[in-house]
This record gives sequence, structure tokens and C-alpha cells, in this order.
Amino acid sequence: MTASTLPPPTLEMRAISKRFGSTQALDGVGLTLYPGEIHALLGENGAGKSTLIKIMTGVHQPDTGAILLDGSPVKIGSTIAAQGHGIAAIYQEPMMYPDLNVAENIFITHAGRGPFVRWRQMQREAEAILKQLDVQLDVRQPARGLTVATQQTVEIARALSLKVRVLIMDEPTAALSAHEVAQLFTLARRLREQGVAILFISHRMEEVFSIADRVTIFRDGRLISSAPRADVTPESAIRAMAGRTVEQLFPRSKTVTDELLVSVRGLGKAGAFEGVSFELHKGEVLGFAGLVGARRTDVGLALFGIEPADSGELLIDGVAHRVRDPNQAMSLGIAYVSEDRRALGLSLPMSITANITLPTLRRYLSALGLIRGRAEAVDAEQFRKRLAIRASSVEVEVSKLSGGNQQKVMLSKWLNTRPRLLILDEPTRGIDVGAKAEVHQMIDDLAAQGLAIIMISSDLPEVLAMSDRVLVMREGRQMGIFSRGEATQERVLGAAMGQEALA
Amino acid sequence: MSWIKRSIRPEQLRELSLVALIIVALLIFGTQIENFLSARTFNRIASSVAIVGVVAVGQTLVVLTRNIDLSVGSIVGFSAYFVGMQLNGNPELPPLVAVLLACGVGALLGLVNGVLVAYGRVPSIITTLGTLAIFRMILVNYSDAKTVTTDMVPPWVPGLAQETLVSFGEFNVRPMVAVAIAVVLVFQLVLVYTQFGRRLYAIGSNPEAARFVGLPGRRIVLLAFVICGALAGLAGFMFLSRFGNITVVAGQGLELQSVAAVVVGGVNTFGGSGSVVGALLGAFLIDLLGQGLIRWLGISEFWRDAILGLLILLAVASDAVILNWLRRLWAPNELKTRTPSEAAPTPKESSHGV
Repeated sequence: MTASTLPPPTLEMRAISKRFGSTQALDGVGLTLYPGEIHALLGENGAGKSTLIKIMTGVHQPDTGAILLDGSPVKIGSTIAAQGHGIAAIYQEPMMYPDLNVAENIFITHAGRGPFVRWRQMQREAEAILKQLDVQLDVRQPARGLTVATQQTVEIARALSLKVRVLIMDEPTAALSAHEVAQLFTLARRLREQGVAILFISHRMEEVFSIADRVTIFRDGRLISSAPRADVTPESAIRAMAGRTVEQLFPRSKTVTDELLVSVRGLGKAGAFEGVSFELHKGEVLGFAGLVGARRTDVGLALFGIEPADSGELLIDGVAHRVRDPNQAMSLGIAYVSEDRRALGLSLPMSITANITLPTLRRYLSALGLIRGRAEAVDAEQFRKRLAIRASSVEVEVSKLSGGNQQKVMLSKWLNTRPRLLILDEPTRGIDVGAKAEVHQMIDDLAAQGLAIIMISSDLPEVLAMSDRVLVMREGRQMGIFSRGEATQERVLGAAMGQEALA
Repeated sequence: MSWIKRSIRPEQLRELSLVALIIVALLIFGTQIENFLSARTFNRIASSVAIVGVVAVGQTLVVLTRNIDLSVGSIVGFSAYFVGMQLNGNPELPPLVAVLLACGVGALLGLVNGVLVAYGRVPSIITTLGTLAIFRMILVNYSDAKTVTTDMVPPWVPGLAQETLVSFGEFNVRPMVAVAIAVVLVFQLVLVYTQFGRRLYAIGSNPEAARFVGLPGRRIVLLAFVICGALAGLAGFMFLSRFGNITVVAGQGLELQSVAAVVVGGVNTFGGSGSVVGALLGAFLIDLLGQGLIRWLGISEFWRDAILGLLILLAVASDAVILNWLRRLWAPNELKTRTPSEAAPTPKESSHGV
């Protein structure tokens, strides 16, 4: 398509800005979608892609900026409004009603079809839509048991039934096999022929470059470039995505010792990850970098015995161990600070003290088997001082603390198990800049005390700043380990996106 | 005012407000009903609260783990009947053995519940609704619809309910009341000072976090059900001692009463918070209101269940609204430490990416 033949755009986002608390998620970005175009949107974790999609689908409202549909400004106040405008999205995990059949799933969002279900008519229409997509599917079959790929097809049919004009595909291929990806692309191209504007988001470069007509790149909530595919190469795209501004590089101290603590060889778990091998010394911080879906957390859960590995070996101090459950991991000196404080980490209605001593309660039992409250409080008080947890006392319920302070309670709880290997999963997610700096300082201190630390983080500048070495994963496979000197944003991102050439 | 704030913890608000409510109720009934504040009233309330209270303690343990035991009434009935029949067949049975037998039968039935819930992964409300009917059915079959009567058991059994340990004026502390108080105290200590107690709260407040620290979640839930069953069994013996006549419907309704006591007593139905002292106060308040309203307004016995239901709803509503508001009033310090940027919603995008 050349500029002279471009039809008027279907959807135009102009100078959109959106701020959440202290984070500027989007900073005056623009995006133009033309009919009959597949438009790829690229960006690292936190580049602003999700926020833009949520604004397009009416989940969030932009702080400033305008949205134009067919050249006239519109306000997308809700997801229903977005549907009314013909804007639909499909995601990696399809949203299905498993007990309803295919036809019902297609028409589930339709309002104004009267109070009664006209089964015959609904089935006929559903069949017609699927035929338009050239898909063979029994519309009376329940959605339960359909493959992810088929469910996505049903979602696309649902979008079509709503007269879709803009279809957002948010990492639709992450859970699909190569064959299913090909089928999905056929569907996408068919929709393109029918004049639908498609916004395609993927971390897989080869997919982007095989299907997109235009490639737009975001970084740090800003628009970096938008160009026809022919003008972009995978290398130039990664270069544009990398190079994130770094507020301030944390000055890591030199804490690595030459005492080897952990060796992992060929660790794997069917359906999650395989071939993970690394060595970790006392005082070393090993960063786990990768994009969402790289399965880094699964490696952490395997090392901690929550979801044990089924192949490979783990050696601690040269002795091989098969970690089967968290108790065993703890006795080996492994601690895992999970990323989801609320769901996995803290018992919110319980006090700071009770949370901190929970994994090690045995230590606080008297000869009679009763908990020595005084001893508990003394230890908790120490952590409160050491980690500067802001609370009036250690008896305060954890639910009353801010995110940063909850994170510190989590850390205290696991440090209290006196670990030798500390696995931190997204330790700074969702906490403010000040608390973040404190956590970084703490990681440095802990490494200086001789702890071996694995830090899983999706914040690339953070990983690079904090790690002595960086292990990069992509879709369950280890792509490489870079030393602090070698690990540049471009290299790490290149490896995370599967571009060997750059790595 | 500030010294009050300092000396009272927000978690104790519920117990304190229950005490306040009980005092208000006593004042109203005392002024409105002739001879209400008499030893006789309290003897009567104490004897009936003793049974509900023991059941409610067990129920508290189960509710703390985010479960519920609806079969306690059937367990009470079964163990009362079973022990009654054993005593009938073997009058020489030592009292302690009889009591242990009751607890053992209850524990066994509790084990059935616990295994199904903890290992069979059947939701407890369904499991215990089923066993409520099944245990009752077994009782009907086993008893052949016959009744245990007072003259079938050794005289010490009904005698126990009439005996007096200590008297405060005309108020007589019956052995059963002493047992109930002992049970409450023991389990209050268990909850606060033992590993098992702490783990109950941990499992109830966040099962996933409990799994991450390696707590044996299933065993703890199982144990909660077994203890609940054993206490229901003990209550069954108390029931036998108090009433002497055990029919196939003995203990029916205790499931509702115990759940009501627990909920009114401030145990969170979503698990993780509450105390057995609260549950006992809840049981006391419910019985007091029941007795008082019947005598004051002359309403019929059938109203008691309606009052129960109303109290449950009120307790749940107050939990959601009033207590939250009170807590915020109580602890402004903690909220102030929250910086504005942290209080704002965290953008998922900033970390989650696409």
C-alpha cells in the first residue's frame, strides 16, 4: 500500500496520555489503523501496549488525547461502547462460557435480541458467520473442551457478529501450536480482505514480520516509530524497543565470591520449561530476564518445590537434591518470595509478627509446645527496624500496610527462614519509586552478606542494574547467560525475543 | 478517650461490642420483665448455652479454615443416643469412659467429614449437608426408632446435670457449665498459643500463602473437622445428661444455633479471623435474647429461629459495614503511613507488559 492509495483511517488515536499514580503509562502516543491493514504493535514489558488496548476497548479513559472513528471524535466510555463502535479484542486466554454452546458464545454479548432465545435463528446466524470465516464447527457443541485455537476462532466469530471494524489481537499465538498459528493467520488475512483493521501484538518477531503490514514500536509509554514493514528489520525493531531510559542505575557493590553454592543442570518440567542450567555463587545476584510467558516463575517454583521439576538436577554445595515440597526447600536454605503478595504471599488479616514467623513457627515454641509471643515480637521488631517497615507496631494487621511495606513484610518473612538461596519474583512490582530503591538497597546488602539471589524481574533496566549475571529465557527455554558487562538492553531483549543474531 | 484507644485492640472490638450488647439486653429485660434478673434465669441460660457453646467452639475451628460443619446437630444426636444405649447395656461403665466414648464417636463422624472435605475436595457445605442427613439416618436405623429414656441410664447421668459445683447465691455452677467454660478456655489458648491454632488462621486467611510456606493444609483442615466432631460428641453426652430422653431428632437445630453463635460472635465466614470467646458470647447473646423476648413479648418458641436468622444477617451486615468503619476510626495511624502514590491504583502495564 502506498500513501496515495491509503483509504481514510478507521481508527485514529491522537496524543493519548494516561497516568496511574506516579507512573506515566502513556505519554502522548498516536496510532492510526487503516481498514484492511494488519498493524503490529511492539514494545517491551511496560511499554504501554496494554494501557493503549484498554483505552481502545473502553476499560480505561485517557487523561488527554482524542480518539477518532472514521474521522469523527468518539468517546469510548465502556466495553459496551467499544463493542458498539465495532472494536473488539481477543486475548491469549479466550473468554468463553464453557457450558454454553458455540452459537450461544458467539451471541452472548448481543443485547436487544428480545427476551427470548430464538435457537433456530441463532444457530443459522452462527453458522453463517463461521462460513464467512470458512471454518467447520458444530455450533451446538459446548465450548468446554474446545482447543484454545478453536475458542479463539469462536471469539473472532463473536467479534464478526458485532460487525467488527477494529480487531485487537493481544498475543493470540502464545498458547498455539505452529499449525494453529498458521490457521489463525489465515483467518486474520481473511478479515483483512474484508476491510477489518487488525492490531496485532506478539513477542514473536518472526510472526510479526510474516503477517504485519505496518509496525509500530512503543517504549516507556512513548511512540518510537511507526513504519511499513518493509522499512523495518527485526534488528532495528529490537534496537528501538531497547534503549529504555534508566532513571538511575543502582550502584551495585562487588559482592560475588568464588564459593559455588548452587548448580542447576538441565532442569526441566514438562509443559513449562526445559534445559535450564546455571551456577550461582555466594553473594551473586543472577537476574532472570524475559518477556511475559517466558516461564521464569515456573523455574522459581520448581526450585522451591511448589511445582517440582521432573528432569535435570539441582546441586547445593555439590550435593544433588530433588526438591519435592517447600518444607524440603526451606530446610535446604531456599526461600521464594512470590510476585503476588496478596494472593500468594501474605495472610492479610494477620499481624506483621504472625506473618513473619509463619514459616518458622517451630522456632518460637516453648518446651510445652506453646508459642512464645515475646520471642516472636522481638524478631519481628528487628525486621521492622532493619527493613524500615512503616507501621505503628508489629501487631498491626498486614492488610493495613501500603504495597511497599507489605513487600517488606514478605521479605522479612522469608529472610527469617535464614535462607542461603533467595529467589525474588518481581520484587518491585507495583510499589513506588522510593520503596523500589529501598528494595534494591536491601538486595545489595543481602548479597554482601553472602546470600545467593535469583531475581526474576520483567523490568529490564532493573535486571541489568541489579544482576551480576543475567539469564534470559524465552517460552520455557534458556536463551543464554550474559555477564554484567555483556548484558545490554539490546542483547537481552534480542535473546528474549528469539533473535540469535543479536545475542 | 485516647487511653481507651491504646488499651483496646481493633480485633477485640467485636467481643467488646458483644459484651455491650449483652449488658444492654440485660438492662432492658431486667427493667421490663419481673424477676428476669434472677438466678433461675441464669441457671437456665447457662445450661443451654453450655451445650451450644461447646458445639460452637468446634464450629469456630472449622469456620476459621473457610469451611462449615452442618452435621454437628446430627453428631450430637448420634453420640447422645449411642452413649445412652451403651450405658443402658453396661451400667457399670465408668463416667470418664462414657464421656470419652461420646467424644470418640463424634471424632469418628468428624473424620468422615474431614476426609471428604480435605482429601475428597468436596465443598464442606455440600459434604456436611449430606452427612447431616446420613448421620441422622444411621441414628434412625440404629435406634430402630426407639427412645433412650432417663430410667434406662444409670442415675449418675441425669444427676450430673443437676449437681452443683459452686454456688454464687442462688446461681449454681453446674458441671456442664464448668465443662463448657473449660472447653472455651482451652481452645482459646490453643488458638492463640499453639502452632496448630496459628496455622488454622493462616490457612483460613490465605490458603495459597499457607501452601507456599509448606503448611500441611489438608491435615489441618482434617484435624479441625475431627476436633469439631469430638466436641459435638462431648455436647452429645451433655445433651444426654441434661435431657435424659433421647429421640431420633435429638440435637436437631444445633447446626443452625452453632453457626449463628459463631457468626454473631465475630468469626469471619471467609475464614482467618475470630475467636472462641467471641463464639461463646455470641451463643450467650442469642440465648439471652431468645429467653428475654419470649418472656417479655410473649412471643412463641417458633420466633426463636427467626430471631436466630435475623441475628445472623445483622452480624454479617455489621461485619461488612460497621466494623470496617469502626476499625478505620480506631487506627488512623496506619492509614496515614500510606503515601498517596502507593494508595493510588497500581498500573498493571508498568510491570506486566503485553
